[in-house]
Amino acid sequence: MLLDTGYRPGPAAALRESLYRIRALANNNTLIRLRDPGQTISYVVMPMVLMLVLKPLYVRAVEGGTTKVVTGLLVMFSVFAISIAGNAILAERTWKTWDRLRVSRAPAAELLIGKTLPIYVVMVAQQTILLVYGCLVIGLPIPGNVPLVLGAILLWAFTLLAIGALLAAIVRSHGELSVITDVGALTLSSLGGALVPLSLMPEWAQVAAQASPGYWALEMLQAAVSGDAAGVVRPAAILLGIALVCGVFAIRRLTRGWGRGGLL
Amino acid sequence: MLQAIDLVKRYGPVLALDGFSLSVAAGEIVGLVGHNGAGKTTFVEIVSYLIRQDGGHVTIDGRPPSASRGRVGVAPQHIALYPSVTVREHLTLFGKLAGLRRAALDSAIEELTVALRLGAFIDRRTAALSGGQQRRVQAATALIHRPGLLLLDEPTAGADLETREAMLDVVKQRAGDGAAIVYTTHYLPELVELQATIAVARNGRIIARGTYDELVDGLPGEVRLIHDNEEEVRVSTTQPAATLIDLLGRAERPISTIEVHNPSLDDLYRSLAVSDAP
Repeated sequence: MLLDTGYRPGPAAALRESLYRIRALANNNTLIRLRDPGQTISYVVMPMVLMLVLKPLYVRAVEGGTTKVVTGLLVMFSVFAISIAGNAILAERTWKTWDRLRVSRAPAAELLIGKTLPIYVVMVAQQTILLVYGCLVIGLPIPGNVPLVLGAILLWAFTLLAIGALLAAIVRSHGELSVITDVGALTLSSLGGALVPLSLMPEWAQVAAQASPGYWALEMLQAAVSGDAAGVVRPAAILLGIALVCGVFAIRRLTRGWGRGGLL
Repeated sequence: MLQAIDLVKRYGPVLALDGFSLSVAAGEIVGLVGHNGAGKTTFVEIVSYLIRQDGGHVTIDGRPPSASRGRVGVAPQHIALYPSVTVREHLTLFGKLAGLRRAALDSAIEELTVALRLGAFIDRRTAALSGGQQRRVQAATALIHRPGLLLLDEPTAGADLETREAMLDVVKQRAGDGAAIVYTTHYLPELVELQATIAVARNGRIIARGTYDELVDGLPGEVRLIHDNEEEVRVSTTQPAATLIDLLGRAERPISTIEVHNPSLDDLYRSLAVSDAP
């Protein structure tokens, strides 16, 4: 007996079925993440070590050094985490599993949500852990406006996810992705003031910093940590714009699939 | 069930499909054969709605592929599985994506575990499986929701005997249940065993269609005998069995080797290539 009856559910049932499929996809991607956690762990542990080592330097060099060392390294290693998103999406292409999913009943939007949701959770968790560590171990004052900080983390993670998806959609191999994310992340985050306080950098670098998402993330997070809601608005808007542009392009590309034009 | 009419598909300067037409009825197995580059996989990808055709049209139960997502089971030519995910987890994922829940899902997994002989490695990660085992898992993910149309693109390529037997049994059973099946392969004997209608693709179109007997009727096979003194006799014949009996009856010396070659897929291609030539 064939189970495929061509049954079409009503709107409420369709929503339940959609959520059911998204949960199945998210579970599968969570399994994959949990079985290969090395990269995620290193992007949490490395900044913890660096925060401890660099804190005395920051405190002596700039005002508000503790905040700057915590937010700076948080931003830097969250930018590195773009490679987690990129590799996870690119792996579907390497394994040729993305086309298997595209043939299923799940439409493109469900596939993308199911794929990116666990990665998003990982990114948010990474930043939250580093911020909590910053408060408990490094001496960052506990933020007065926790929802504002959480909102900033959620937005920054969304931006990183969109950039990672975009990269995964356009690069042709894990090697290419690795070059772009490692060199790009280091350049963008340090140029944005994540490694060395911006005030200590050359003038040209301070001007160029504004082209870096890392710069705006740093602005947003430092404002959020200090409870400055007004200071969050401008960088948040810019990051949201970057996220939307990257996200829309990535969605268009991933929805269409790589076909035979992809080199993998 | 499946109707494809005059499909055209270009990849840059390459014309992959050039007026490709094929129909498959419910319960019918169509064996799609042809050399590499004949258009088989492109056809499968169009019906799966993975790529769009440049011309012609396709319907599945009267609807276009875009409206038939989930109603088609596809096992692509290349292995496409998650290396760190177990066989059971694969089946669960694809079953859930097709809308199967609890009892129906468990029952479908159980049925395929038996039918495709997955039991010994159901809880192992696919990266640890042999090529043949991975082939069976891939087929299982395509079959899990009992689709009305099955597209199996070289499902036994490089597979061992156990995989081939299991695959053919399941395909026959699903056709018996009413599924329309497109089965691409390079092995004619599989299609004979499946009692499939054979469609021969060449240069992006179907150039012949019929049963095995209809297509190979009149094509010469070969009978080869070697006597104990190493004298060799080769006879080209359209009736190998009768010719062999005749030769054996007339043999005056003991025979050390007997070989009978029935017409092969290559013989069929060659004959069609000749008849298709301008």
